[in-house]
Amino acid sequence: MSEVRIERQFKAPPQRLFAFLSEPANIVKWWGPEGMSVPQAQMNFTQTGPWSSVMMNGEGQRYKVTGEVVAVDPPNSIELTWAWHDASDLRGHESRVRLQVHPTDTGGSLLILHHFNLANDESAKGHREGWESALRKLAAMDN
Amino acid sequence: MQTLSTAFAALGDPVRFAIVERLLQQGELSAGMLCEEADISPPAISRHLKVLRQAGLLEQRIDAQRRLYSVRPAAVRAIGTWVINHRKFWETSLDRLEKVLEDEEI
Repeated sequence: MSEVRIERQFKAPPQRLFAFLSEPANIVKWWGPEGMSVPQAQMNFTQTGPWSSVMMNGEGQRYKVTGEVVAVDPPNSIELTWAWHDASDLRGHESRVRLQVHPTDTGGSLLILHHFNLANDESAKGHREGWESALRKLAAMDN
Repeated sequence: MQTLSTAFAALGDPVRFAIVERLLQQGELSAGMLCEEADISPPAISRHLKVLRQAGLLEQRIDAQRRLYSVRPAAVRAIGTWVINHRKFWETSLDRLEKVLEDEEI
């Protein structure tokens, strides 16, 4: 199993950061990488229950991820399950995301994002490097 | 491609991963050419090629007496985006969140 852990400082105090992390109208403002649109989103992280999002890249490829909001403790933490769907809409391996918001001495917040139980630990790292270079080659071949 | 998990399962084997990498580097190769360099028996290579084809990672073309194998570009693209995503997904999302919070400060 592999994991991703990211810590990030924000100037906004915990209440405000939490509102942006959890409220449906706010989530869609930041969800997903640059260059991806979010044509479908059912995301309300203020309460427990199912969530889903479909992201689309510039080439029209769609990436669907769904899960369950399993715990919410405003303005401190949110916990979700997470799984990608493939092209035939089959739901893949389920991982888990924990978002924790801590107040800082300066009146801002520290966000700790932990995405864990990800599949393919060591092989995923190898794959990532392998595939990144593979993709560069493929792109070069396309030209 | 069948499913990403099938593709990952197929690539979990180092021999198969090496076959796919070689095909990505060299384009199209026959089973015989793959055998020679990887030092694997023909029956073993054909088993590996079958698994990779069933996972949707490779395609096959008949050229006279030979079967030529190559990687399906769509499969690489789908896996590449999927695998790269998790850290990148959150890093870039949090960049955007930071910006949104600052923009709406006023």
